[in-house]
Amino acid sequence: MAEDLVLDTAIRDWVLIPLSVVMVLIGILRYFVAKLMRSFQVPDHKIVKEGQVIVRARNLRAAANFIPPKSFRPRRVYFSNEENGLLFVPKGQAQNAQAQMFSDPNMAMDMMKKNLSMIIPQTLTFAWVNFFFSGFVAAKIPFPLTQRFRSMLQNGIDLSTVDVSYVSSRSWYFLNLFGLRGLFSLILGEENAMDDTQRMMQMSGFGFDPSKSLASEKDGLDIVQHEWALPKFEHRAEAVLKKLVR
Amino acid sequence: MAGHSDSSSSEKKSSEAMNDVLVFSAENMQNNTKVIYYSRTFMSIIGGVIAGILGFTGFMGFVFYFLVMAITSIGLIAKAKFSVHSYFDSWNRIILDGFMGGLMSFVLFWTFAYDIVHIF
Repeated sequence: MAEDLVLDTAIRDWVLIPLSVVMVLIGILRYFVAKLMRSFQVPDHKIVKEGQVIVRARNLRAAANFIPPKSFRPRRVYFSNEENGLLFVPKGQAQNAQAQMFSDPNMAMDMMKKNLSMIIPQTLTFAWVNFFFSGFVAAKIPFPLTQRFRSMLQNGIDLSTVDVSYVSSRSWYFLNLFGLRGLFSLILGEENAMDDTQRMMQMSGFGFDPSKSLASEKDGLDIVQHEWALPKFEHRAEAVLKKLVR
Repeated sequence: MAGHSDSSSSEKKSSEAMNDVLVFSAENMQNNTKVIYYSRTFMSIIGGVIAGILGFTGFMGFVFYFLVMAITSIGLIAKAKFSVHSYFDSWNRIILDGFMGGLMSFVLFWTFAYDIVHIF
């Protein structure tokens, strides 16, 4: 390397560590706030019924190979029969449910709340970092990057001859943003970590669309080819029991 | 098959290959996947701190990351007693899952440790 900058110890104490600590604490705070603010909406009776029908049909499809063909076929007909099968919804009725859901104020409020609780802490922290910690070299990343990254990583530093490895605190913020996801999933249990990209994908796919899922379940059930997987289970049970007895 | 008892505490048998059709217990498989994810995250954090303390820079650091991931994979396979198919549905899962997510944590802790130790 051309030059080897020696950076002030105070930067370590007052920039890197507080920033990381603040981000971890904000993540934990957000997790608990989200948990407390989770409002329970009373589910609509009709929607729950349809949801349960879908679950039943899905179970039937998943476990189809474990029941003999004679019992599978009447069950399938029960679901996908043209006149009074449970999964067959006439088109006019389906449209209504969808329109009603879009204009439902409760759901819109919930989505907005979740989105905001994601975005606001990030924005605030970013503004805080920019205001207080700009204009000096904060850290050195241990691997070299090309010159193109210079504008992205070094935006507070106005010297153009400094090695690209020396970055400003904004890039330390971004590094923390991505790297602490793994830490959060360890501390907070399960996938409650700050997976913002995942949440946004969930938000955009609207969720409970009954008419389409009914139709797709019906198609899925029609497609299933029954292949009984347990034709010889009596023999197997006999072998197992024999082993036990011996 | 009947005499097997579950000797490993964290990983559970997720498939019984008794039929022609393989059956997977979805809940157990999800649990196993979670175990892999946690192990990888933890190892990448520790690996990052080690790489920073030892002063790896550039390419060497990434080589070290691959080494740590490979050790994690081997450890997981050994814990599954080398019969991967009875715990997971494919080889790729135990080797490649959680690779990229661990990379970001590794880089973060690598940078952190490197700075604290070497440029203090």
